[in-house]
Amino acid sequence: MAIKLLLEKAHVQGIRTYEVYRREGGYTALEKALKEMSPEAIVEELKKSGMRGRGGAGFPTGMKWSFIAKPEGVPRHLVCNADESEPGTFKDRYLMEFLPHLLIEGLIISSFALGSNATYIYIRGEYAWIPDILEEAIREAKAAGFLGKNILGTGFDCEIYVQRGAGAYICGEETALIESLEGKRGNPRIKPPFPAIKGVWDRPTVVNNVETLAALVPIIKMGGEEYAKIGVGRSTGTKLISACGNLNKPGVYEIDMTISVEEFIYSDEYCGGIPNGKRLKACIPGGSSVPILPANLLLKTAKGETRYMNYESLSDGGFATGSMMGSGGFIVLDEDQCVVKHTLTLARFYRHESCGQCSPCREGTGWMEKILKNIETGKGKMSDIDLLWDIQRRIEGNTICPLGDAAAWPVAAAIRHFRDEFEWHITNPQEAQIRNFGLAHYADPIHVPVTA
Amino acid sequence: MSEQQLFKVTIDNITIEVPAGTSILEAARKIGGEVAPPAMCFYSKLKGSGGKCRTCLVEVSKGSEKDPRPMPKLVASCRTTVMDGMEVKNITSPKVVDARAGVVEFLLLNHPLDCPICDQAGECHLQDLSYEHGKEGTRYEFQRRKFKKHDLGPYIQLHMTRCIMCFRCVYTANQVTDSRVHGVLDRGDHAEIATYIEKSLDNDFIGNVIDVCPVGALTDKTFRFKNRVWFLKPMDAHRDCPKCSGKVTLWNRGEEVFRVTARKDEWGEVEDWICNECRFEKKNSSDWVIEGPREISRHSVISQGHYVNTVKPTETFLAVNDGRAPHLLLDIHSESDVNKPEIELSLINGPAHSNNFNSK
Repeated sequence: MAIKLLLEKAHVQGIRTYEVYRREGGYTALEKALKEMSPEAIVEELKKSGMRGRGGAGFPTGMKWSFIAKPEGVPRHLVCNADESEPGTFKDRYLMEFLPHLLIEGLIISSFALGSNATYIYIRGEYAWIPDILEEAIREAKAAGFLGKNILGTGFDCEIYVQRGAGAYICGEETALIESLEGKRGNPRIKPPFPAIKGVWDRPTVVNNVETLAALVPIIKMGGEEYAKIGVGRSTGTKLISACGNLNKPGVYEIDMTISVEEFIYSDEYCGGIPNGKRLKACIPGGSSVPILPANLLLKTAKGETRYMNYESLSDGGFATGSMMGSGGFIVLDEDQCVVKHTLTLARFYRHESCGQCSPCREGTGWMEKILKNIETGKGKMSDIDLLWDIQRRIEGNTICPLGDAAAWPVAAAIRHFRDEFEWHITNPQEAQIRNFGLAHYADPIHVPVTA
Repeated sequence: MSEQQLFKVTIDNITIEVPAGTSILEAARKIGGEVAPPAMCFYSKLKGSGGKCRTCLVEVSKGSEKDPRPMPKLVASCRTTVMDGMEVKNITSPKVVDARAGVVEFLLLNHPLDCPICDQAGECHLQDLSYEHGKEGTRYEFQRRKFKKHDLGPYIQLHMTRCIMCFRCVYTANQVTDSRVHGVLDRGDHAEIATYIEKSLDNDFIGNVIDVCPVGALTDKTFRFKNRVWFLKPMDAHRDCPKCSGKVTLWNRGEEVFRVTARKDEWGEVEDWICNECRFEKKNSSDWVIEGPREISRHSVISQGHYVNTVKPTETFLAVNDGRAPHLLLDIHSESDVNKPEIELSLINGPAHSNNFNSK
C-alpha cells in the first residue's frame, strides 16, 4: 500500500467541514508551526524536504522561498495558484473540493513563513463552485481563530482572499496571474524582475501551486528529513497524478514516485489498465504541454531501463526520447486514438489561449493549427510536416512566457515520434477520414545498442 | 556630479562603455549602424514598452565578467540591461539571424501587405524590417485574418489588419494623454486594438498614437489618401503653442501643408509629443515659422526628392517677355473640371474626388 500524505483523509465523511477536519488531526501542523517554529525554521524544513514545485516546472520550493526579497516596510504576499487549466490536469480541483481545510492550513503556515499578511487564492473561473467551498472553509478557520488578527497569540495577522479568474489558461503563468489579480489584462510580464522581487503591486511575492502549499502540512507534521525519505533521489514526497484518457479507472491518485509507469497504468491499485483489452499507443505523462511518448518509450527508457513515475525518470533522455513530470496530468491514448487529431486538438487549445502579446506565439500557434487541420482533413502536403517542425522551432524559446514552449513541444514530440502517422495521413487522405493508423509499431521493443 | 558606474559591453565585437542600467538595445544604438537590433514595439519614451515583438532578440554569449555563463535563450535586447563585461552577438550570431527571420515571417503572416494603398508606406518600420531581415516569399497558404471595423473618430483611422500588436499606442494613451479610451480587446490571434463602445478618440495629445504606430494601423485621417510621403517635403517648423512645444515637421508639397507630425529621430522616435491642435488644425503655412528642410536618412525613400539645399527656380518668363504674361493657346483649367488651382488639395476633407471640383 502506497504512502498517502495528502489524500489520506479524503474519504472521511464530512472532511470538508472544520469539525471533522479538526477531529481527524487537522490544524495540528499549523499549531506546531506557529507556536514552536520560526519562519526561518519552516523554510529550512522545506529545504530539507527537497520538495519540488508541483505546478509543472518542478523547481525546489524551499529555494524559491529563500529568493523572496525582504525590503523594510514593504508588505509581502503569497499567492496560491489555483488556476489549474492545463488539459488533463485536475488534481488541484480534487484537493480544493474535498480537502479545502488542508489547503487553508498549508496556506496559513506558508503565509507565516513568508510573512504574508494578505494571501490570495487565484482560482480559475471555470471552477465556479469551488470558491464557495474555499470561502466557507476560510470562514470556519477564522471562527476557530486560525485566521484574522493575532493568530494563536503569536501576533501574526493573516487574511486569505479568494479571487476568481475569468477563464484564461494564460493566467496560470505566474506573472500573468499577478497582472490578472491586480485587475489588469492577464498578459505575462517580462522577467526580470521576478515576482520574488516585484510581484503583486510591485511587492515581493511568491506564487505556488495548490498541491505544493497543501504539502506543507505533512512536511511540518513529519519533519523535512522524514518527508525526504519518501520517494527517490531528488523526487521526494508524494505527488498527485490526475489520470485520464483510455483507462479503466481514471481519477486522482497519490503516488510516492517509486512506482513504474507500467505499474501505474496496469495495476489494479491505480488505473487498472486500458478498457476493452486495447493496447497502449501513447501517453502524455505530465499535462498537455509536455512531449507525448509512444508506448515503447513510455514504459522503458531509450537505454532499456524501466521508466518510473518521478521527475528524473520521466525526463530521462531529454526531449529526444523522454518527456516531463509536468503538473501530473497523465493522459493515456489507446490504439484507437489518432495522434494527428490529438495534436490538432492541443494546437487549437494553444491558439485559443495565447495571450497575443508576443508575435511568435500569437501568429505561430494559429498557423500550426491551420496546417494540422489540413493534414487531419486530408488536405495536407508532405512539406507541411517540415513546415510544422520549422514553425515550432521558431516559437520555442523565443517568447516571453512558457506558453510558446508549451504550444511547440506537443507538436514537436508528435512529429518526432509519430512522423509515419502524419505521413500516412498525407499519403492516404481518403482512408485517413474513415479509419485510424492504429497501433502500428509504437509498442515494439526498442533496439538498445550494446556498448562494450 | 557623482561618479556614474560605467559598464563595458561588447556587441558584435565592438566594445562600448555605457552607464549601468542601460539596455542592450540602447547600448547598441550608441554604436549605431547595423549593430542596433530592429525594434518594433520598444519605444524609449514610453515606460514599460518593449519585449513583445521579439525582433530585437540577441544572443548573450557571455553574461558578465563575474558570471561568464552565456544566457540559455535569446533575450529581448530592449528589456535586458547590460552587465559589466557582457558579450552580445547580434548579426554575428546565426541563431539570431534565423530567429529574426522567423519573427519577420510571423509578423507578416496576417499582414495584408496592402502597402500600395497604405499611407504609412515609405515610413513604415515593418517595410524596413522585412526588407532587411525577411525572406522574399511566405509559406502561409491560408486566408489572412480580418476584423470588424471600428471608427475611432474624425482624426484617427484604424486598420486593424495591419496591426502588429506592439502596444505602443496603449502606452501612449496611458502616459501622454489624460485618459485612455482604447485598448486591446480579446486575446491571441484575434486580439485587437479598439474602443469597447464605439467611442471616438478625441482627448488631447491622442494624435501621438499615429506617430508611435510602427505600421499603418493608425494613420492620420486628415491626410488619408492625399499623398505619398515620398512626394512630400518635410520641413522643420514651430509655432507658439500653449499646450505643447510646438516643434513639428510639416510635410509640404509646394507651399501646401499636407500633414503635420512630430519630429522623429534616426530611430523613428518622436523628439517631442505634439498636441492635437498643432497636428490636425494648423494646415496653413502661415500658422508656422519654417526653420528649414528636415534631414532624412539618405536610405529613406523620402529623401529621394533631394529637396535639401534645392533652390526654388525663379520664374524667368516675365523678365524676358517685358513683364507680359505668356499667351496661352488653351488654359486647361477653363476646360477641365478637375484640379482647379483655387482648390487646395490639402484642405479637402478626405481624398480628392471629382465632386470636389464640380463647378456650381
